[in-house]
Amino acid sequence: MSPVYDALRALMEWLAGHGALPNAFFLQFVANAVMASLLIGPLLGVLGTMVVVKRMAFFSQAIGNAALTGVSIGVLLGESNTSPYISMFGFCLIFGVVLRYTQQRTSLSSDVLIGVFLSISLAIGASLLLFVSARMNTHVLENIMFGSILTVNYGDLDLLGVVFFICMTLGGTFYNQMLLGSISPSLAEVRGAQVRVLEYAFVVLITIVTVACVKIVGAVLVEALLVVPAAAARNVSRSLREFVGYSVLFSTASCMLGIVMPMQFNIPIPSGGAIILVAAALFAVTAVLRNALGGFRVARPA
Amino acid sequence: MTKGPHVSIRNLSVRLGGVQVLAGIDLDAAPGRVHCVVGPNGGGKTTLLRALLGQMPYDGEIAFEGEPGFVTGYAPQSLDLDRSLPLTVNDLMALMGQRRPAFLGRARATAQVQDAALGRLGLAGKGERLFGVLSGGERQRMLFAQALAPMPDLLVMDEPTSNMDEAGARLVESIVRDLRAQGSTILWVNHDWEQVRRVADDVTLLRGRVAARGAPAQVLERVAGEPA
Repeated sequence: MSPVYDALRALMEWLAGHGALPNAFFLQFVANAVMASLLIGPLLGVLGTMVVVKRMAFFSQAIGNAALTGVSIGVLLGESNTSPYISMFGFCLIFGVVLRYTQQRTSLSSDVLIGVFLSISLAIGASLLLFVSARMNTHVLENIMFGSILTVNYGDLDLLGVVFFICMTLGGTFYNQMLLGSISPSLAEVRGAQVRVLEYAFVVLITIVTVACVKIVGAVLVEALLVVPAAAARNVSRSLREFVGYSVLFSTASCMLGIVMPMQFNIPIPSGGAIILVAAALFAVTAVLRNALGGFRVARPA
Repeated sequence: MTKGPHVSIRNLSVRLGGVQVLAGIDLDAAPGRVHCVVGPNGGGKTTLLRALLGQMPYDGEIAFEGEPGFVTGYAPQSLDLDRSLPLTVNDLMALMGQRRPAFLGRARATAQVQDAALGRLGLAGKGERLFGVLSGGERQRMLFAQALAPMPDLLVMDEPTSNMDEAGARLVESIVRDLRAQGSTILWVNHDWEQVRRVADDVTLLRGRVAARGAPAQVLERVAGEPA
């Protein structure tokens, strides 16, 4: 895929040279990060609407935080400091599947159970970090936790491309059934959905996305990008089409602005933090709009 | 003319959290007949439906005898849905009735059938309304309408008229009678004894086990004076 990336980068440089894009686009790592965000934005935008409808924001947040523990385990096992994908994916997947399995077999409420799992995972991660920090530079650790566009390379873009394809195919094919399964499992079963299988498939989707996006947004903040743009979109949407459309738009815009603005204005903050702050600003604006326009809850004329 | 399956339930038992919710249930729902399941709260009616729809592990046997590939429609009492979500009636119909992601719009092939079903329930022109702003009765009309798209050979209902006004309930009864005349099998969990008396051919009274079964008048006579 290198020729494609080179061509896109050349295009960005050309546009920056003609004043159509900020000067930051002359930098290769900014161009790489922008290409990554063009994949991440739509992906998280679509999946985010599912997270909001399925009321799985806290669940997703728990998986995101589990990535931190996965990173620690990976570094201890000798994986690359900058790309500990295998252990991160492995731990997040085990964490998500065990959590989902337990949810289905306990009378404890979901938020309590997720809180327990999240605490255990963070406690393990925090304990392991003590050993990990002795083996690596603190800045590398910060990059993993809060994202760093400096580390995105063509290999990461390839991985994102594969993840984009898998998630869009799986999510697109089973979007209706996954949502219906959370709204009415019996109705979903009658309509041919394997509800339990799809619940686990959704956990896998969230895990894959978490791992793939960790370089840009960071392990701690990646799930915020699943929730905040979708929540902002919900504020101004009057149909599912608008909900998904705005969510994709807000997610992509958050990624792009969060990457470019700190570079353009010399603001020394990590990309993950900047991206989520942009998303949060969009949420605040849409919340005010929703309030000002009467909450959009008034039915449109038939 | 459609012909629904014969639903045969034999010695069905369900335990939940160590509690026996249903024990030794035998029930037959035949094509061209309306079978109402009645009983007090906690009597196991919804558990029976969940077992029938594959949502609950059980002991015993549930068989659907008839032509393979029959269409099942299910009308739930309500949806577990945050009513502030931006989901319109058409969005939900698309979620329930097509493979293509609902946010891409309704598939042309199913939209006509869905519109006809919505129209039959008095919801014509309300497809773009948010589901959350519909009245309780309108939401139940929509949930019943989706069970008719496509026309079911087996229709399973869980108190579909509990929030409807008299006109809505009568409309549902009329459609159920039409389906019965076409040979569909209808299994209806119902709390309304008057309605049961009007539409049921067979009645099963559940109280964790089968407390009575037979024609509506017989079962009503058996439990006269007791709360349904």
